Amino acid sequence: MSVRGAGVPAGSAWLPGSLVWRVALLSVVVVFVQISVVSEVPVFGVSVDLSPLLVAFVGLLCGSTIGAVTGFCVGLLIDLALMQMLGVTSLTFTIIGYWAGRLRELRDPQAALTPLFVGAAAATAAMVGYSVIEFLLGVDAPVSLELLREIVVGVLVDTVVALPMWALVRRCVVGALPDDPRRRRRRAYTTGGLSPLSQSRGGAR
Amino acid sequence: MSLSARRASTLSGEDSGRFPLVYDKTVRRRRAVLALLVVLSLILLTAYFGEAPSGGLHSVQRGFLTVVSPIQDGANKALKPVRDLFGWFGSTLKAKEQNAELRKQLAKVRQQLTTKQLDEGTYRELLKLYHLGNALSIADYRPLTATVIYQSPNIWYSTITIDHGSSSGVRVNDPVIADGALIGKVTRVVSDGALVSLITDSEVEVSAKISATGEPGMVQPEVGEPGRLLMQYLPSTSSVVPGDYVVTSGTISSKGESLFPKGIPIGQVTSTSEQSGFKSVEVSPLADLHGLDVVQVLTYRSGSRPESLNGLAASLTPAHQLGPEEEAQGGQVALAGG
Repeated sequence: MSVRGAGVPAGSAWLPGSLVWRVALLSVVVVFVQISVVSEVPVFGVSVDLSPLLVAFVGLLCGSTIGAVTGFCVGLLIDLALMQMLGVTSLTFTIIGYWAGRLRELRDPQAALTPLFVGAAAATAAMVGYSVIEFLLGVDAPVSLELLREIVVGVLVDTVVALPMWALVRRCVVGALPDDPRRRRRRAYTTGGLSPLSQSRGGAR
Repeated sequence: MSLSARRASTLSGEDSGRFPLVYDKTVRRRRAVLALLVVLSLILLTAYFGEAPSGGLHSVQRGFLTVVSPIQDGANKALKPVRDLFGWFGSTLKAKEQNAELRKQLAKVRQQLTTKQLDEGTYRELLKLYHLGNALSIADYRPLTATVIYQSPNIWYSTITIDHGSSSGVRVNDPVIADGALIGKVTRVVSDGALVSLITDSEVEVSAKISATGEPGMVQPEVGEPGRLLMQYLPSTSSVVPGDYVVTSGTISSKGESLFPKGIPIGQVTSTSEQSGFKSVEVSPLADLHGLDVVQVLTYRSGSRPESLNGLAASLTPAHQLGPEEEAQGGQVALAGG
């Protein structure tokens, strides 16, 4: 389950329509499942939050621009559906989606556990970012070690579901992503004529 | 070397001239999109924060909920078996412990019931004697059963969304109960849904009293303990002990507070402490606020006594905002009717 695979090449101006529809549909389904099922099943006293994971993984697969736009739209949908203050979740998720996309564009991480770490970071950023904005707005809410405990437990619980969530997002989105030259070069290196094994075999003959 | 620099070095000399231009354009577009989205979020936030509840953005939000709540309700019903399956595992793990605790509570309640039944006869005679039988009570309301279709997952907002709204007679400030205990009040209503703020939400405060001693106080969320309540500024001579029940007092002490009928259980005292000459008690809510599935909204008919008393309560404007100490010293407005 590595990050290597197709992705929108950095600098590509082409945005396939099927990608837009897939991301939009996936976002709506995940938000509704989050609201109707996941939020009502507490795990160790906290609810799993799938939305920052979705935004981060779309950014990780599709790039920073698509990640940021997805984050904004998912955040706005959540704020509208939950009757929360508009703009708070949008702002947080826009930054998460952009950051995940930039991570892919700059570092192109190959490790199999990359989605795990990205998911944990996204969950942490979402909870901490939301808390900071609420504090800045002067919302009078309880603050204590209990709050920190809930944030820590929430991040751990979200990290546990990060890998299955990554598999789901990748399966839904990867078919619509444009071909990435880097993937072709990697595939050629491992299975094609550029592989050292195939070259040595050809030399022995 | 960065990814973009590596790509640049693999290009031919002919292409490398065009590459910086394309690269700059890409960077500018990416940054412009980010800046636009961030500015848009800040504008939304500022506008929403600064406008009145009847403003444009709030109306859009209510309109969205009007459209989405039937879909949410359908999805909630369709996915209930999945939710129940996950809930079953958690409940099974806690069942043995809960069973032992409930048996202890049952034994204690049976003992109290015997004592109370003896006092009940005397109480009814006194009510008749002093014509006090017209206090606003739960019997003046029409309980409307509603299903919870959404519960806020984060700790900043303790709210739930239910599947009945103004078309079913639900109004803002209607009390909401579950398992026989108060859980909150309605804060926003659309035609087919309503938002309920729970008693653990920072915006909700309830005038209450200790059931055993009758001492009044204000129940609010406890700062530092999400999900727990605090009743403050009881007299230092108060004889409240852990285990006493806290119920609604049927009074209000500030303009923003809702008038709840008298005698609805809120929670149970878990500990007491004393500071600055007043006693404070920690209250554990009686209803399970995390696993709400079905609740009852206390609605009322037009022209009924709750409507007239709520209207009177809303129109009252105290000369100054009462501080907690003043409230503890009896600065409450009783609207028991009569």
